[in-house]
Amino acid sequence: MKRTLLVIALVLIASALADVLWRDSYGYYAWSRMPAFYALFGLIGCVAIVLISKWLGHIWLQKKEDYYDRSCDGE
Amino acid sequence: MASNVPPAMILIAGAAILLLVPRRFRTLAYLLFPIAAFVHLLNMDVGTSLVVTVHSYDLVLLQVDRLSLAFGYIFVIITFLGGIYSLHVKDTGQLFSSLLYAGSSLGVIFAGDLITMFMFWEIMMVGSSWLILSSRTVNSGRAGVRYFLVHSAGGLLLLAGIWLHFSSTGSLSVGLFEAGTASYLILIGFAVNAAVPPLSAWLPDAYPEATPTGSVFLSAFTTKVAVYALIRCFAGFEALVWAGTAMAIYGVVFAILQNDIRRLLSYHIISQVGYMVTAVGIGTEMALNGATAHAFTHILYKALLFMGAGSVIYATGRGKLTQLGGLSRAMPLTLVLYMIGAFSISGFPLFSGFVSKSMVVYAAGTNNLEVVVLLLYLVSIATFLSVGLKLPYFTWFGPSRSLKPANTPTGMYVGMGLTAGLSIAIGVYPSILYDILPFTVEYKPYTVAKVVETMQLLAFTGFGFWLLVPRLAGKDTITLDTDWFYRRLPRLAYGLAVDLQIVAGFQRAHEWVMTLPRAVCDHLGYRWSQSRAIYYQVLGTVFREVESRWGKEYQRMLPYLKEYSGDIALGALIVAASLALFLVLAIT
Repeated sequence: MKRTLLVIALVLIASALADVLWRDSYGYYAWSRMPAFYALFGLIGCVAIVLISKWLGHIWLQKKEDYYDRSCDGE
Repeated sequence: MASNVPPAMILIAGAAILLLVPRRFRTLAYLLFPIAAFVHLLNMDVGTSLVVTVHSYDLVLLQVDRLSLAFGYIFVIITFLGGIYSLHVKDTGQLFSSLLYAGSSLGVIFAGDLITMFMFWEIMMVGSSWLILSSRTVNSGRAGVRYFLVHSAGGLLLLAGIWLHFSSTGSLSVGLFEAGTASYLILIGFAVNAAVPPLSAWLPDAYPEATPTGSVFLSAFTTKVAVYALIRCFAGFEALVWAGTAMAIYGVVFAILQNDIRRLLSYHIISQVGYMVTAVGIGTEMALNGATAHAFTHILYKALLFMGAGSVIYATGRGKLTQLGGLSRAMPLTLVLYMIGAFSISGFPLFSGFVSKSMVVYAAGTNNLEVVVLLLYLVSIATFLSVGLKLPYFTWFGPSRSLKPANTPTGMYVGMGLTAGLSIAIGVYPSILYDILPFTVEYKPYTVAKVVETMQLLAFTGFGFWLLVPRLAGKDTITLDTDWFYRRLPRLAYGLAVDLQIVAGFQRAHEWVMTLPRAVCDHLGYRWSQSRAIYYQVLGTVFREVESRWGKEYQRMLPYLKEYSGDIALGALIVAASLALFLVLAIT
């Protein structure tokens, strides 16, 4: 798992360098000006979508595998 | 002259010719037809058409433009690649239905009028249902029948829309529709096949039940034919922007909850088709190029992912995350090939998804749809998380289940290898793809900004996965979807109807309705019981005949047929009468 962290760190350094060197070549959206916006968005988005999906599954969507085979009296 | 043969005919005729080929050579012979169709497509010029006049209608069996050619190329390519992947398949029915399915998909995209389009649309349904039923398991039988019924209903709505459209405008040509009841019916018909929620539950219900090879074909055609139809008839229809974005999010949320690997991938079909539907809704030239390009790359990488998952299922007999794990030692090559598909769907630079997905997102950006852009980035994150990290982690790594997988046939590897090669080729040289898109491409995927942004996004998704791994393991559950309304609700309703004496009421009503035929029998001098006995005898003879030819399966059906024979006869009469009425109306 240390390797994963190393890869992530390298990508961050590389993208930060690219960020500085080619700053003017982009900036289409309002948020593009914010440094490391996509890194933050990636992390927060990932955690949020997992937690929200899992929560939805837990309270509502996930059922036992034989859900459709059981008769209705078994509810 | 030869150049205006509809390419659909090459594959459909091929399906028939296949039956004449000696059994041993059938899988090899299969490959000839997509090759022939591909060569044929390469020689076909824009503007070629074939019109056949039937009665007073002109059926346009072939109408070629750049849009239909782009879809035509990829359909033929995947028919070929899927054929190589299925070289070990001995079941002629699957080969036959694959060709029928692929051929009728080509039929839809080259159709120049709505009737031709509808005919091929319905043949597609038959071919694809067959691929699902070919698993010959209880679950695939049930899912296949549900699939068939949902698509029959969708097809009927489409037909009703076409009928209304024709009666109000007198035109049957395929083109952009004006808003109105007729076009909304047609839109719903298309939306069923495109798997737009809430009409989408058939897809994750049925695709995982098909054979490992069958689901490769299924992943390619139905939804992408619908995307083609939407581009053709509903480009710029604004509601599709939001329907598509909702689809993309719905797909990834449900995928996170799946345990069956092919069901997980199925929800990602819905999600990826969401990008295409969004692009259709935007409707600019760049967006429509994006939708076409994304359909093209999606067919390749999704087939590759289903091939990888299919190989695992073929080798281990298991398809659930809770039953898989630790396969990296036994199936390393499958892992590498699967990951090429996973990097493509996640939109990594140098892989095919990057050059098409970013075009759709960029098209949304240039139309000031910033919310859509951010939501689609979120979908990218979740796609990489489920398809690129979770599924491979819990299949090839994670807790070992000490599985002893069987050998994977060479054809499966070759099929995956070629599909993977093509995915990388498009990622590295996007011009191969951009040159065949319907409009001139003025878009550069490889700018520093786009590459940097994508790498940041995906690297930090990886970090998020690393934090959340323990929470992501599969669970032995299924998820509720809109199929609840036709799988669970009817049983609840029936239970309620029994409780409320409604069923008993219907039985009394049935008795009452049947007094008329009884009276007729009495009048003619036959006793009711006697005439029913004669009827059963005739029916019994027919079924005994069928049974001796077709095996024992009909034995099971006999008691049901006896019980319902009266209703079946009544139903057949009503159908025959309405058909006759329809014919009379159509002729006059």
